Amino acid sequence: MTIRRTLVDLAVALLAIVGIAIVLEIWSRAFRVPSYLLPAPSAVAARMATDAGLLAREGGVTLSEAAAGFVLGTGVAFALATIMAWSRPFERTLFPLAILVKLTPIVAVAPLFTLWFGFGTAPKVAIAALITFFPMLVNSFVGLRSADLQEVAFLETLGASGREIFRHLRVPSALPYLFSGARISLNLALIGAVIGEWTGADRGLGRVIFVANANLDLTILFGAVLVLAAIGIAANAVVGAAERRVLHWHPIAVAT
Amino acid sequence: MSVAIALHRVSAGYSGPVLRDIDLEVANEVVAVVGRSGSGKTTLLRLIAGLLEPTSGTVDLLGVPPAIARRRKRIGFVAQDARLHPWRTVRQNVTLPLEVNRSARTNGHVSPDEWVARMGLSESIDAYPHQLSGGMRQRVALARSLVIDPEVLLMDEPLASLDELTREDLRDELLRLWEGRPRSVVYVTHDIEEAVLLADRVVVIGGHRPARVRGEVAISLPRPRTKALRREPRFHDLVEEVRSLLA
Repeated sequence: MTIRRTLVDLAVALLAIVGIAIVLEIWSRAFRVPSYLLPAPSAVAARMATDAGLLAREGGVTLSEAAAGFVLGTGVAFALATIMAWSRPFERTLFPLAILVKLTPIVAVAPLFTLWFGFGTAPKVAIAALITFFPMLVNSFVGLRSADLQEVAFLETLGASGREIFRHLRVPSALPYLFSGARISLNLALIGAVIGEWTGADRGLGRVIFVANANLDLTILFGAVLVLAAIGIAANAVVGAAERRVLHWHPIAVAT
Repeated sequence: MSVAIALHRVSAGYSGPVLRDIDLEVANEVVAVVGRSGSGKTTLLRLIAGLLEPTSGTVDLLGVPPAIARRRKRIGFVAQDARLHPWRTVRQNVTLPLEVNRSARTNGHVSPDEWVARMGLSESIDAYPHQLSGGMRQRVALARSLVIDPEVLLMDEPLASLDELTREDLRDELLRLWEGRPRSVVYVTHDIEEAVLLADRVVVIGGHRPARVRGEVAISLPRPRTKALRREPRFHDLVEEVRSLLA
């Protein structure tokens, strides 16, 4: 059932994109919009077909960088959130630092990362991790603190240890928050990877977009953007399906 | 008869004092604690369970401090409007107490499934809490507290959020429960009739903060009791006696 839902979601998204493409196509033909300003969707589609191999390869690079950054960023965020939920002093020390990280403009540190970590995969993963870190930290922290106090008291009267309360109550209570954090972080990870590639790379969709920009090669630019969007939509659908499966007990999952 | 719960001149509070000089002993009986909302009834339960340290006085549970009794898994706790664990089925909620603090030995001879059956929930044993009514959820809360067969049962207005008919059913259930096997029960409620129907003794707390024990009424009504008792004059005399202590 969840797979069918996912497919329906994807079909609706696809339909919307096709609809917009048709409007743009009519518009660009009717007003003879020059291709260096806005290429006709048909031209973009044709270019995507000829360069399908390139887009798939570079898309794969960006996806794997984003995925690695996502895992790293959300993993560290969850670990820190656990510590923060555990102890108030840690919360007070770590939260301002987290906000500092959050407020640092990614575009400012991206070139720095390239300088530190070179032109390979590492700086892209680092940027994707950095950008996913904060939303996941906040969601994990609020989620771990969201456990019902009566239920905490119930487990305490049974002599449950802090670890048992964490495992049996706090983590499951946090799951809805973790999923909404993951949804936000997933798209951010993709953006982070592209920004990383933009500032210095020989691979990835960001690199394709960068070169296309320099050459005013708009068809491949839009092609790359569309591939990026497709990856984002697919990733969201996967998380959505996982969420419905894991949170089947949750009122929101039941309602949707 | 050994004393299961003993509070000796206990005072407690959070930022300000809530309870002062509370003396209470419970031994294999049901003691209802009655007071107005906000009079410190829940605080009293938290004290007995050792979730709150007294500012003065001593609390003994089965001859030891509450923290130790807790580690020995001797305390059952039923809260008002139990949220349960929504990701667990009825059966999994009832087995939860057996999954934590495994080093403590429990004297439970009745299986989790049997407790579910006794609460009349066999058909819903694989249902999730969001699929249950409030009354059914409270039955699950009761079952999961009893699965460890605790000597001490602490109940914090367990029926307060239910409709009248469901409440009556569950009252009968509770009567059968402690008439079948005596335990030391502290039953907190603001419902005077409920207190008189269920308890062996009613303790009234109140007054301006911090609250004190204002008096005690022994309920000498014979057991087993049924809700028919509520029509008898004796019952009403006792209710009036408690009411006068509250006012």
